[in-house]
Amino acid sequence: MFRLNLKIALRNLWKNKGYTFINIIGLSIGMASCIMIFIFVRHQLSYDQHYAKKDRIFRVTSYFKYADGEEYQNGVPRPLGPAMKNDLGMLEEVAMLQGGGGIVKVMDDAGKLRLKSSEQTFYVEPEFFKIFDYKWLEGNPQQSLSAPNTVALSEEMAEKFFGDWHKAVGKTINYQNKTDLKVTGVFADVPENSSNPIKIAIAYAGYVNKNLKKWGSVSSSSECYVLLKGGADVADLEGPKNAFIKKYYVDQTGARTDHFFQPLTDIHTNDIYGNFARKTTSKSSLAGLVVIGIFLMITACINFINLATAQAVSRSKEVGVRKVMGSMRKQLIFQFLTETFTLTAIALVIACALTEAALPGMESLFKENISFSMLEHPVIIVFMLSMVLIVGFLAGFYPAMIMSGFSPALAIKNKISIGNSGGGYLRKVLVVVQFAITIILITGTLVILKQMKFLREKPLGFNSSAVALVRVPMDSLSVLKYEGLKIRISKIPGVISATFCSAAPSSGDNNTNNFSFGKAEDADFNANTKTGDEDYFKTFGLQFVAGKPLSKSDTIKEYVVNETLLKKLNVTNPEDAIGKLMSVGGGFRGPVVGVVKDFNNMSLKEAISPIIIVSQKTRYENIAVKMDSRQIAEVSKHIEAVWNATYVDYVYSSSFVDDDINAYYESERVMGTLFKVFATVIIFIAFIGLFGLISFVAAQRTREMAIRKVLGATTMELVGMLNSSFLLMVFFANIVAWPVAYIFISKWLSGYTYRISLSIWPFIVAMVLSMTITMITVTLRSYRAARTNPIDALKYE
Amino acid sequence: MIKLENIEKYYANKGLKNYILRHVTTTINAGEFVSIMGPSGAGKSTLLNIIGMLEEPTYGLYEFMGENITQLNERKRIELYRNHIGFVFQAYHLIDEMTVAENIEAPLLYKKVGSAERKSRVADMLDRFNIVGKKDLFPNQLSGGQQQLVGIARAVVAQPAIILADEPTGNLQSAQALQIMELFQTLNKTENMTIIQVTHSEANAAYGSRILNLQDGLIIK
Repeated sequence: MFRLNLKIALRNLWKNKGYTFINIIGLSIGMASCIMIFIFVRHQLSYDQHYAKKDRIFRVTSYFKYADGEEYQNGVPRPLGPAMKNDLGMLEEVAMLQGGGGIVKVMDDAGKLRLKSSEQTFYVEPEFFKIFDYKWLEGNPQQSLSAPNTVALSEEMAEKFFGDWHKAVGKTINYQNKTDLKVTGVFADVPENSSNPIKIAIAYAGYVNKNLKKWGSVSSSSECYVLLKGGADVADLEGPKNAFIKKYYVDQTGARTDHFFQPLTDIHTNDIYGNFARKTTSKSSLAGLVVIGIFLMITACINFINLATAQAVSRSKEVGVRKVMGSMRKQLIFQFLTETFTLTAIALVIACALTEAALPGMESLFKENISFSMLEHPVIIVFMLSMVLIVGFLAGFYPAMIMSGFSPALAIKNKISIGNSGGGYLRKVLVVVQFAITIILITGTLVILKQMKFLREKPLGFNSSAVALVRVPMDSLSVLKYEGLKIRISKIPGVISATFCSAAPSSGDNNTNNFSFGKAEDADFNANTKTGDEDYFKTFGLQFVAGKPLSKSDTIKEYVVNETLLKKLNVTNPEDAIGKLMSVGGGFRGPVVGVVKDFNNMSLKEAISPIIIVSQKTRYENIAVKMDSRQIAEVSKHIEAVWNATYVDYVYSSSFVDDDINAYYESERVMGTLFKVFATVIIFIAFIGLFGLISFVAAQRTREMAIRKVLGATTMELVGMLNSSFLLMVFFANIVAWPVAYIFISKWLSGYTYRISLSIWPFIVAMVLSMTITMITVTLRSYRAARTNPIDALKYE
Repeated sequence: MIKLENIEKYYANKGLKNYILRHVTTTINAGEFVSIMGPSGAGKSTLLNIIGMLEEPTYGLYEFMGENITQLNERKRIELYRNHIGFVFQAYHLIDEMTVAENIEAPLLYKKVGSAERKSRVADMLDRFNIVGKKDLFPNQLSGGQQQLVGIARAVVAQPAIILADEPTGNLQSAQALQIMELFQTLNKTENMTIIQVTHSEANAAYGSRILNLQDGLIIK
């Protein structure tokens, strides 16, 4: 019986090739999108899942509450680790993890330089490997990393440095041109879906600041991981932790500090904290993707339902005959479901091929390796099978119910028409739902693209184009060469100006400090401090509203502030600020010499901070070089050559300020691309569905149209007659979609301090677009129907 | 075998009763070959549909094989279809996606006849109706007469007690019609199958053992 059903199903699908094609195309594209979303989400959720004790591992995070705001930090004060080890009995293990980077040099046996490269490194406490079960190929972490100046390498690094990891143990590598580190262990590569991409693990015992007792200084590079004792509940840590805070943070007047225990599995999907992999995907974007996936599937299923119920008419005779032959309704339902499942299964195969084809594009968009290996991740198979089941039932059950419910007497007499085949009303509702979804996506895409353009083009208040940031080494020996480097770089033809600085005016690297202005006591808010030499303002094109730039100095002598800082201090006239004495972090007390016009110092999601700019040679991390935009390539090469000649033992690295700024909007770029792709896919699915539907309606009404034509209707009138109901449905879908789209979009936009004002235009464009495409799709088919010779249609009667 | 008593059928249209059948009372015994005749609109097809349980009468009593089936649930009705009734249609109504052999086999599948038995019965039918050579063709590859032969084979294969035929020759040329009618007569005589047909043609009606003349919903003879 089943085999026969399958055979009939295939023959039926083959007979209605056009509709089968539409259904399969729609379903397979929808399914492919869903599979891609699934494997991406699966990949994101797989982060840090590969540790045996993952449910008991927590990262300690910091929280600061200021008078006018708060801050979340993934780093902790350096003394926190040892203190927690001592005070909190519920913790089985505590390990500090200090991230960093530096120049690694490897010598060959003859003592010659074999390799020099800039690498990300970690100072790791041996306990770290009690918390995280790394696979050790050689050595034992508890011994390997207990002594200072020892290092363990990942397999990849060991091969890179020594050609073969078996040879690594016992050799030495030179770190930061200072320390020789002895390789004492090799561990298997950490999977890519890991928030701690440790490749070079240096013994924490050799970390210079390990005994630092400053509880007020927090760096995002100092993380602390803890392992909860088996059976303990993290909620029970709350009491001991509060006691801990009270004990160590005696002075809680300025910023009130707190610490939280963040579950390991939360690290990758919580974007308020950073991590060493510099990769987070927020739960909300994952949820957004899942919603889009569901939307796509609904749209494809609606196509299927609409076409199947429309097609039902032509199946009515078969139903009638089968019924009088003694078929039970449920047998008919089963038969129709067989057809749906056959179709869905075919679509799945095509969807797999599409996914495979789209995978490279997806990987470059997300900049991650995403696996579509079903053997490696059987959950993908489970997902695909359940998708077939769900889609099969969702799309197949309703048409099967309708078709199997035909009265045999009517069916045999061919008296079932599209009107009473059931689903006429439902079909309209479904089309409206489908198009409402499409229109929401179109509107969303338009707004996202417009906001992206706005972010790209909004003047930031300083000139960021053609400015390169070249990192400079910060050790005291290198600092001595700063002056010479700057002179030599400035002499390169095509270089307009150069300045030493900690960071560009807009940067992800920000330091905030307490400060006093005018009076002895500190202001009740903190200011963002930037360091730069006398050419900082010229290089970045910062404008002054009062006073003048800083004069040349190696240490803090003078201060420049921005308008926002004055506004917050209630100084209305910038001129009044000139000459006032101020100090930062209780340091040197000096005069304000200039007030710069406000510029955006962070992503446009944030408001402008109060800013203080000072000169302080020991804090410079970069030399920023503004060049002639026509000669960027040559000038960059030239700068690199000069730099390498100056700092022979270091590795050159640079970036462009524009690129750094664009990097803020990476997630917007990804979202924008995703929306563009999925909106196109959904438009495509919806419109081929529409095309299928109008084909059926036209076929159904051929006789009616022939009669009308004989009565004197023109082709255009007939086309209008067929089109109007579809246009009305799409128009109605617009009306339904607008408020929903408005709510989504204004919620998304509210995440930006600087944003476009939401006008009616995206809505109008979506409406015009959807109506126009509907018009074209429908007319293609209805025109052909209206043009047929009435005799052809009528002679069969 | 079939007992109809005061069968009435009407459609209410804006308060007016539009009668199709009035006071139809008749008994059809096993082994009879009844032809229902009458002009267009007399209610012939409706009567046949009621006998075939495709429609329900508005009033009246209908007994099929001694069982009152005026109100019958679907399960029970399908039981009767499977075991006792075979339909033959004017427009053949073969399933287009199935071959000749599969069309004939279909009722047996619903009757849950075993595979070997099905094969032999289908082969038997093909043989008997001289369509062995056509068994793998699809309906649209056959002439009207051949399609109707398959239609009858399909009705007969389940060995029903009664065959209901609605103008079985209405779409056929006279030579083919003759062949079909002779086939019915043979089935009636040799297998003692009860046959009820609706027809326009006096000649076709003559093959039957009895004629029910319908006019405006009433049996007039």
